[in-house]
Amino acid sequence: MSKRWIGLVVVLWVTACSPIDPKLKQYLVEGERLYVLHCSNCHQRDGQGLRRVYPPLAGSDYLKENLPRVICSMKYGLQGEIIVNGIMYNQAMPGVPSLTELELAEIATYLYNSWGTQTGLIDARRIGPLLDSCARPRPRR
Amino acid sequence: MKYTKEMRLHWTKWVWLALMAIGCTGLDKPLPILGPREVDGADTLYHTIAPFRFVDQDSAVVTNADFTGKIYVADFFFTSCRTICPIMKTQMLRVYEATTEMPDVLLLSHTIDPEWDTVALLHDYAERLGVESRRWHFVTGQKDSIYKIAQTSYFATAMEDRSEPDGFIHSGAFLLIDRRGRIRGKYDGTKEEEVNRLIGDLKRLRRE
Repeated sequence: MSKRWIGLVVVLWVTACSPIDPKLKQYLVEGERLYVLHCSNCHQRDGQGLRRVYPPLAGSDYLKENLPRVICSMKYGLQGEIIVNGIMYNQAMPGVPSLTELELAEIATYLYNSWGTQTGLIDARRIGPLLDSCARPRPRR
Repeated sequence: MKYTKEMRLHWTKWVWLALMAIGCTGLDKPLPILGPREVDGADTLYHTIAPFRFVDQDSAVVTNADFTGKIYVADFFFTSCRTICPIMKTQMLRVYEATTEMPDVLLLSHTIDPEWDTVALLHDYAERLGVESRRWHFVTGQKDSIYKIAQTSYFATAMEDRSEPDGFIHSGAFLLIDRRGRIRGKYDGTKEEEVNRLIGDLKRLRRE
């Protein structure tokens, strides 16, 4: 057997036996589906955003530093100026109030494990307390 | 009979000539003129875009006169829309980029939510997209006039509907208008292939 074949077998063995958490995989699949449905129109399929209108999610420092706010804005929306990678954005983002804690966790897991970042699973049980921490928008009169 | 090399050459020559002829007629075939038409004696009167008067992102008044002798692409959108508009704007940006070297081609985006989309907001939006107002006008005006011109001139759907998640229903259509204000093509502005076709048709229309 040539060296190349031995290399291939080793690679296959390592990848087949590496512990890919089935729960993480499930979150990623469902998260991607929800991302395409609710987020990709503006933030684009590849997470790059659109010029200075919609901020990028891929390689975003804002995303990295603001998990609670990211979760809250997905459900309740976000208004006003934000700075992402040194650029100011000011396009109101409508929330999707119908998203459940599990769905928010799935989308977050997808965002935080795509486009070059690997943060691992964001469990649905973490979402409840995070949502409690954010100020909900006042009902319109 | 023996099949010689000369015979094969003879054949291929004719096939090439035929292909070229078909190809050329395909290119030269003019784009259709869309919409209802009236025949008045020997003349055919085609549907044209009705006179309009809107205000763009620079507070400049924009009327038909600004588009006379120009080819333009029109659409209907609103800045707070989260459904199809962002995709339409991504695609319209492609048209913008493809027409950089074409001073006779303009873009005209109408907001269907003039109450929210003020001149200041449209100005900020265009600036954030990084586009020049000289080539791409974002216009606002009386809500009724915008809806009316959408439906009766461009045959595009645009109306308020409180039951929709964003409060409006509208089509994602891009309309290609010629130098005489006639509709020469209708494309789905949310589909990349359709917009490729639009860019091709635009080039054909310029040669007319």
